[in-house]
Amino acid sequence: MMVVTERCVGCATCMLVCPKDAIRVEGRAEINRELCEECRKCMLYCPLEAISYVTPELTQKS
Amino acid sequence: MRIAVVGSGLGGLLSAAILSERGYEVEVYEKLPFIGGRFTSFNYRGYEISTGALHMIPHGSRGHLARMLKEAGARVEIIDSKPEGTALYNGEEVEVRKRSFPLRSKLSFALFCLKNRFREVRLSELERRLDDFSARFLRAFLGWSLSITPEETTLTKIYPIYRSTLELGGPGVPAGGCRAVVEALAEVVESNDCKIRRGSKVRSVRKEDYGFSVHLEREAKAFDVVLSDIGHEETAKLCSYRAEKCEPSSGIKYSIAIKQPFIEHTGVLFTLNTRRISGMNQVTNADPNLGKGHFLMAHQPMLTSNVKFEISEGLKDIRELLRGYEYEILAVQSYSDGWPVNRAKAGGEESVKTPLKGLYVVGDGAKGQDIEVEGVALGVEKALQEVETLEF
Repeated sequence: MMVVTERCVGCATCMLVCPKDAIRVEGRAEINRELCEECRKCMLYCPLEAISYVTPELTQKS
Repeated sequence: MRIAVVGSGLGGLLSAAILSERGYEVEVYEKLPFIGGRFTSFNYRGYEISTGALHMIPHGSRGHLARMLKEAGARVEIIDSKPEGTALYNGEEVEVRKRSFPLRSKLSFALFCLKNRFREVRLSELERRLDDFSARFLRAFLGWSLSITPEETTLTKIYPIYRSTLELGGPGVPAGGCRAVVEALAEVVESNDCKIRRGSKVRSVRKEDYGFSVHLEREAKAFDVVLSDIGHEETAKLCSYRAEKCEPSSGIKYSIAIKQPFIEHTGVLFTLNTRRISGMNQVTNADPNLGKGHFLMAHQPMLTSNVKFEISEGLKDIRELLRGYEYEILAVQSYSDGWPVNRAKAGGEESVKTPLKGLYVVGDGAKGQDIEVEGVALGVEKALQEVETLEF
């Protein structure tokens, strides 16, 4: 699962590169989990390294 | 001489291109998969939406950036704006020229400049002495070009910018937008057999007897000189020294697809009776290839630190300005902290020098005294002069 962290300033670079149009930004990025296919392009392109990938096991534990 | 450039924003690429033309061996490291930083764009739903900057060069084909692009041998066409700007004031659009301002305000300005040349006086002091139109124009101009308010800056900081605007003139739009500029620079670098390494994050830079070692994830390389395009603070972290904190400026940019044209010319429309929005330009008037339809960009400075609130105020302005027009907001982009409008506020002239000889900062964190990318060009010029004086 892709997770947006506190470092996000809302520059929307992730929205511009998302191939699934799964990201909306207004001050901060929000990822639509239904549309997201976890290609991780947003994570790679984020200038602030504000998007991380969390594996399902990790999410369950937390 | 071997030179490493950390960061492929406009400052980094402009430096790299010129140095590679001069025969230096240059290598550019970019942590992201794309080059250009805040001076490039992505095609989003048929529109070239920029990562940061507006598709605009403040002094057009006569400016510092244009001059240095020429020196770098980068092929970029700049379409100068005509008229340079208009202002929307009380529902009417007027051209911005010297003549547009009342004589009394012009005299107050001249007097204010004369009296406060060497003193730190806030521009809000000047604002109070102007008529309503001139005062609002001052506010809109600072918001549009520098993302600051008259309260945040002083005459001594803004005066050189004012002079150069008079001397060099108003803005232009690069054909193909900002991406065309950085791509032209990258082409120069690569045609000179120098490398641009995308997706290569520099972990640290260490001072050595011979110069510097630049450490990536799995390798280290030796260089004589390092130019850093990531601002003073980040550079200091890379090299483990302390740097003073500098205050970045924040802003919000709106990209709007609009059915009927809202602006008839290629220049800036300053919006004077708004809460936040300071200006707009319709970039497709200069280069139709920047969008599949009319493409309007609006910009506002941030007056509070509450981004959501600032955006809601900006959107209210846009709704009022574009009443009766059919439009769609494609993107709302906010810039602050580590990805600001400007790493250093305008006029706060940051030196290109660092505590380490042979390490210089370029880019908007070490701008010379001019607006946006014109300031970046001046900073690069200064850093390159420093490099030329080093002896090997």
